[in-house]
Amino acid sequence: MTTSPSAGAAVLAAALALPGMVPTVRAESAPESAQIGFKYLSYRDSQPGLKRVSVDAPSVSWLVPVAGSWSLAGSYTLDSVSGASPRWHSSISGASRMSDFRRAADLRVTKYFARSSFGFGTAYSTEHDYRSNSYSLQATFSSEDNNTTWAVGVGRALDRIDPVNAVVVDEHKRTTDFLLGVTQVLTPNDIVQANLTIARGRGYYSDPYKQIDERPRERNQAALMLRWNHHFEDPGASLRTAYRLYGDSFKVDAHTLSAEWVQQLPRGWTIAPSIRYHTQSAAKFYYDPVYDPLLGEPFPPGYLTDPGGYYSADHRLSAFGALTLGIKVTKAITKDLNADFRLDLYQQRAGWRVGGPGSPGLATFRARFVQVGVTHKF
Amino acid sequence: MACGCEVRIADLDERAARQRARQAIDEIRRIEHKYSRYRADSVVGAINLAAGAAPVRCDDETLSLVAYADALHGTSDGLFDITSGVLRRAWDFKRARIPSAAEIDAALSLVGWGRFERDGRQVRLARAGMEIDFGGFGKEYAADRAATLLMDAGCRHGFVNLGGDLRAFGPQPDGSAWRIGIQHPRKANETIASLDVVRGALATSGDYERYFELDGLRYCHILDPRTGWPVRHWRSVTVLAPLAIAAGSLSTIAMLKEAAAAELLARSGAAWLTVGPSGQVDSSEGLAGRLPATASRDDPR
Repeated sequence: MTTSPSAGAAVLAAALALPGMVPTVRAESAPESAQIGFKYLSYRDSQPGLKRVSVDAPSVSWLVPVAGSWSLAGSYTLDSVSGASPRWHSSISGASRMSDFRRAADLRVTKYFARSSFGFGTAYSTEHDYRSNSYSLQATFSSEDNNTTWAVGVGRALDRIDPVNAVVVDEHKRTTDFLLGVTQVLTPNDIVQANLTIARGRGYYSDPYKQIDERPRERNQAALMLRWNHHFEDPGASLRTAYRLYGDSFKVDAHTLSAEWVQQLPRGWTIAPSIRYHTQSAAKFYYDPVYDPLLGEPFPPGYLTDPGGYYSADHRLSAFGALTLGIKVTKAITKDLNADFRLDLYQQRAGWRVGGPGSPGLATFRARFVQVGVTHKF
Repeated sequence: MACGCEVRIADLDERAARQRARQAIDEIRRIEHKYSRYRADSVVGAINLAAGAAPVRCDDETLSLVAYADALHGTSDGLFDITSGVLRRAWDFKRARIPSAAEIDAALSLVGWGRFERDGRQVRLARAGMEIDFGGFGKEYAADRAATLLMDAGCRHGFVNLGGDLRAFGPQPDGSAWRIGIQHPRKANETIASLDVVRGALATSGDYERYFELDGLRYCHILDPRTGWPVRHWRSVTVLAPLAIAAGSLSTIAMLKEAAAAELLARSGAAWLTVGPSGQVDSSEGLAGRLPATASRDDPR
């Protein structure tokens, strides 16, 4: 009589092929093990002939389950930012050099019940001229069959701005945001989600380091995010797609489409290429790099007749299209230790806008994010 | 089910728990009705009635159970055979009588997984009088399905126990394990050990469920499909595995393999506890719970 060395594994594999042996849906449940992660992010952006901002940010994050139904999580990041920020549009001559440290920390505590969870979070971030405190409350509720989960949240952020050039002193910005979301499991392989966020902000929105930058003191934003994740049993992969519709009172309207393919590979490898396309209209007070015939650069035409109006040359408020190509590689080194690497290449061009003309006269803007990290579970 | 059935849900109020338990029991009943060999209107009844005649068309669930039976037959070198139930015609445990060689041969002529024909969705037993029986894993399948249903309904603490074959879907509400008693194979009202289960499954096969004794020898209901005779050796085999159906199948295969099962269990990757021919208890490492003092491994707790 021969004995198969893997009788146990063979029987289990055959049993797992039967329908209904393992749950198809998992409700949000309290984490079962503690976790600590270290990440290192490197960010570089540039325009032709100008290396702009670079950020190097090591961070540590941790999560501990407490008493079975609570979790406590936090992170700490130290950014070192240096580089040149153009004083208007992409003007190199006017670039101001800068170098700064940013410290950011956050803490979240979550209580889990059978079909609901309640969380409170607080975050703190500081630079020598900027300080931000925020608080948030979030709750989730699942239906009896756990196929539907609703989420509601409210957050409040208080920012203090004290620029070194003393253009303004002790300025503030206060933002309140609301989240309403629903996640629906359609089939064991399909999950869809809709999240609506509305934010209302009051205070100082201008860039104190740009020469002509005067923005409204209120900004109301709304964003609708739609997601659909589909799992393919056969190649062992998931497709994550998303569409985001955004609009705000600066009159920036944006559409963002993204897709990520997460492919499981043998020996603990996962590879996930991604693509994201973004297109937006310009803020109503963004002005093109066409300057006043009398005053010259950087003054927008008509500045003399309306010096108290709103103006900004910030390229993030221009009309453009942008494409991000990314790849993330994860390797499960042991059952409890994961290493990951992520590269994202971002490019923003006026000519890539869809649904209207892009803002003329701006050089292509490129950015590169590299992140490496390890996560260990206990 | 002709056995004790216990659905325990520990993390909900009584009304919600009763409602979930109802759904779990409905699922167990559904499986029992669909695959009972005693019912002519069951899927198994229809296949058996049509033996030697026309093929029967099956649904996905039945075909996956057939595929599982096929995998078990291969893994057990032909010992786990769902056509072996007809041997019960020769062995009548109520009458406590050893059948004649002719009676056993007649029953054996109707045994053979190789004569279960499959063509797409059509299945057929080649000879009239042949029978299939999902009893060897149906109960554990039902326990797994019911536990999955409860997990999908958000239950996180409890278990489904069908006659000692159990699938747990989470610890007690305070996080501690469920302590599950293992039937003593010779003392009907006693347990021989108690094992801790948080998640996963536990199943026991033994020579004590249906048997008769004659001239000091025990003849139990687990029959070797090659010889037509009851198996000897183990008094009982308990296996812990992620799924009840896997635990139950491994414990039955171990009973069928007799002495050779020691090696199979040692290499199975599962945790186990055996009661040997003279009552000695042996167990794998890593079992937690109350083990008898004779257990050769692991500290009794």
